[in-house]
Amino acid sequence: MSVKSTISHISRRGVLLGGAAAVAASAGLRSRPAYAAPDKVKVQFMYPVGVSGDINKLVSTMISKFNAAHEKIEVEAIYAGSYDNTEQKVITALGVGDPPATWLPINSALQTFLGLDALADVTDKAKKTDIYQDFIPGFLETAVSDGKLYGLPFQPSTPVLYFNADAFKAAGIAKPPVTWDELLEVSKALTVRENGELKRWGLTIGGGWHDWIFECFCRQNALVPWTKDKVLFDKPEAVDALEFWVKLVKAGVMPPASTWQGSANDFMAGRTAMLYHSTGSLTNLRTSSPFKVDVAFMPKNKTFGACQGGGPIMIAKKQSDAAIEASWTFAKWMTSTDVQSQWGRDTGYLAVRKSSWETPEMLAYLKEVPQAKVALEQSAYAGAFLQVPGYHKVREYLKSALDRTLAGEIKPDAALKEAADNSNREIQRLLRRRS
Amino acid sequence: MVTGPALRARVSEAGLAYLLLLPSLVFLATFTYWPILRSIYFSFHDVVLGSNKIYFLGFENYERLWTDKLFWKSLGNTVFYTLVTIPCAITVALLLAVALDSKLRGMTFYRSAFFYPVMIPSVAAGMVWVFLYAPGYGPINSAIAALGLPKVEWLYDARWALPAIIFMSIWKYAGYFMLILLAALQMIPADLHEAAKLDGVSAIDRLIHITVPLISPTLYFVIIIGLLHSYQIFDYVYVMTQGGPADATNVLTFYIYQNGFQYQDIGYASTLANVLLLFVGGLITLVALVFGRRVHYLGR
Amino acid sequence: MATLQDPIELSAPATSRGTLLALRTALRRNWLHFVLLPLMLFWISPLAWIIITSLKSRTEVFDPNAGILPAVLQWGNYPAAMAVAPFGTYLINSVLATGGILVCELITITLAAYAFARLNFPGKNILFTLFLLQIMFPIYATFLTNFVTVRELGILNSLPALIVPFVASGYGTFMLRQAFRQVPTELADAARLDGCGHLGILWHVYLPLVKPTLIAFSIIAVVTHWNDYMWPLLVTNSESVRTLPIGLGLLAKSDSGADWTRLMAATVVVVSPLLLFFVIFQRRFVDSFMHAGLK
Repeated sequence: MSVKSTISHISRRGVLLGGAAAVAASAGLRSRPAYAAPDKVKVQFMYPVGVSGDINKLVSTMISKFNAAHEKIEVEAIYAGSYDNTEQKVITALGVGDPPATWLPINSALQTFLGLDALADVTDKAKKTDIYQDFIPGFLETAVSDGKLYGLPFQPSTPVLYFNADAFKAAGIAKPPVTWDELLEVSKALTVRENGELKRWGLTIGGGWHDWIFECFCRQNALVPWTKDKVLFDKPEAVDALEFWVKLVKAGVMPPASTWQGSANDFMAGRTAMLYHSTGSLTNLRTSSPFKVDVAFMPKNKTFGACQGGGPIMIAKKQSDAAIEASWTFAKWMTSTDVQSQWGRDTGYLAVRKSSWETPEMLAYLKEVPQAKVALEQSAYAGAFLQVPGYHKVREYLKSALDRTLAGEIKPDAALKEAADNSNREIQRLLRRRS
Repeated sequence: MVTGPALRARVSEAGLAYLLLLPSLVFLATFTYWPILRSIYFSFHDVVLGSNKIYFLGFENYERLWTDKLFWKSLGNTVFYTLVTIPCAITVALLLAVALDSKLRGMTFYRSAFFYPVMIPSVAAGMVWVFLYAPGYGPINSAIAALGLPKVEWLYDARWALPAIIFMSIWKYAGYFMLILLAALQMIPADLHEAAKLDGVSAIDRLIHITVPLISPTLYFVIIIGLLHSYQIFDYVYVMTQGGPADATNVLTFYIYQNGFQYQDIGYASTLANVLLLFVGGLITLVALVFGRRVHYLGR
Repeated sequence: MATLQDPIELSAPATSRGTLLALRTALRRNWLHFVLLPLMLFWISPLAWIIITSLKSRTEVFDPNAGILPAVLQWGNYPAAMAVAPFGTYLINSVLATGGILVCELITITLAAYAFARLNFPGKNILFTLFLLQIMFPIYATFLTNFVTVRELGILNSLPALIVPFVASGYGTFMLRQAFRQVPTELADAARLDGCGHLGILWHVYLPLVKPTLIAFSIIAVVTHWNDYMWPLLVTNSESVRTLPIGLGLLAKSDSGADWTRLMAATVVVVSPLLLFFVIFQRRFVDSFMHAGLK
């Protein structure tokens, strides 16, 4: 009795045939990168889905345009999941010495990739072009470490303050808050309770990325809460920012915790009147809310301040000069004036070039969606987000500190001190290891 | 005494057994044992994902466990999750399986209705439950309010986030265990039940004294699989809470994922995986000692 | 369990002498439905929400004033969801990968489970524990090493890469071993007297008798691997070898919040083949002949 007949008995013959076909076909379908004509340079580009499902289509369209315009280069776009997934896929490939030519991580990963000695330095190449002149400085800075440029910003975003314009009108509030004090006042005015039961929060800070938003609050207190080898969460400016959050929670106008996904839903469902969330969410919130959505600067304290999400296109170091050159051509094309103008309008991301904002199409778009301009103006006050080694772990320490403080388990200064100590110990460990 | 021919028969039986195990063992060796061996090796080293430099650390990674508060918290969360989810899900599953092991009208529909949660991809199911648990406007809160109970912030509340995930897991896994138990019930000879019924044994007594012992091998399987599966709970935590708020839903597998893939700390992630393996192994041995002896097999 | 075997007779003729009596009889006969129905309604409510949401317009999803049902059925969400990725190719790949895993697993677990259930050999307990190791070790901890292995085998970015880690199944072996051990030994002895060898007994006696378990295992294996996400994402690059959950990820994993209506539409599409598969196969539980009365 053979193994084969055993199977045909327990499963129906059709299943057997299907399975056999599966194995046979899968062997045939093995699709290694097809090596094109020898003079063509093959460039892989791994990207995450930042804002919507259509990104796959948008990117493929861009890639085919690029490929059509460049005879000697063939780019293959590879969708790689969320930002986290993309980073993991690239790093895993790096570990076996086979990274993609280019990829698009979140800008905070800069030190991580530098730590792996993975990035091509493109400073000199960029100096030969108008990149240093035309890119918006706050965006370009997110790809700079020690004065050297390691990629071209492609899809920056920052947190902004979304608000329910209908709720504002109903409460008789004419304009969005500009300072922290006004933020507290407006939040109080917008909070609705019936018989002691909460119906609407005045304000929600999107959870899950609230550490990102917290850095913005630090920057509004004129503190950049990190340098490239340590974090400064225990500085008085940071403690003051967290004390302000505690005040919002104690005043009963803001929930002590939320999730990234849940908070966007809460806003759309009218559960909160104001929301700190990414500019990337603009299109989604604007088209999915049953009321008018408006956008404002994050209110200032000592100053306006924001920090960048989103990421640059990075280029792998360990590849042939020809491949680096092809990757550079690709990155440059992806961040060129018209491509960026189109990309910004399609996705809601901020175009990285000053000239992109002056194209006729963009000007027309801004007339139609004036909210898009707010984030651009705010980005004049924006810098990079938490570019320290091991940023993932640092983020966890900080988030845990914020959560426990807002839940009332621990005092702000103690929580931030603990987070800073833990983070700095971790950063030191990584730096020691690197040397 | 083992005589010549008997010995030969025994040897050939063993030979056949190894031959039958060979296909599995080849693949297990490649895709399970090799990773485990590497994981043991990594746990004594400082290994960074994406880099091929490796430094010997001795027991440092294991020593880190003692002072790592998050490890203990995630271990506690995992144990709590398991102790609540598995007994609840299996009890519900057993009752459902017994009820649906019959020619009930609409049986296909019932079975499908209880089993479909297993099919929903975790990203989608997680999203749906984020909405169901929404504060204030979410359907679950509406139902609670209709019963006159106070509303709960569920996923936003460190006290309720883990229970919320547990409740959802019962929804997800009851049908899964039900299916396995159903298969076992289908293999029980029907005449046993008929005889007991004729003797006037009540339905509950039949369940306890006939059905449960007869499917005890499968029940045993389900308990062990349940324990193992509950340690793999990861997808929902990842989709719904990312371990928060304040690490209230951080479970061990999520913590391993974080360390290995987010923090690139393969050495420590491997250490955690090995500890989990030892822990689960011990637990299973315990279950085997307690329950394994009570399992009745109809065969030898 | 005969009370359950009677069909519902709510429409039994109500004669003049006892509408009430008929009702009580109906209640007694159908009490199970009274328990199961509410539970079932609770169980399917998330599915109902998925389907309803898949037909809503974007602004209706969270609008508390919009009502439960969509004002206009938005069938357009389905083509719009399918347009984000080549779902046709993904579907074929999912079928091939899942089918491949299932067939391979059925072969390996049948052979191994028989050995564990019915053969005596040195090292049996240790080997069985080794099989269980597969389920005990967290799967995410194997990805890195398996990625390297798959790459060295030269099958990165191909369908076999999605299949090979799952060819052997400690889970399935355990499940089937338990079922085999439930088969009365006398049956095997009888077959042996008829001159059957081990494989003959496995073939003629054991496999037919454990059909429900094989079906349950198949359903579980298919459902599990149909939804694999992280591993396929890690080892594939090309659209031509990717599977359905990756397409779903495009709609769910964005940082700006999920694309609810299209995500739910895509979920319905991804789950439908599974549901169909389940409905067809669970029916086969019933014709197990051991259940029908084995002497």
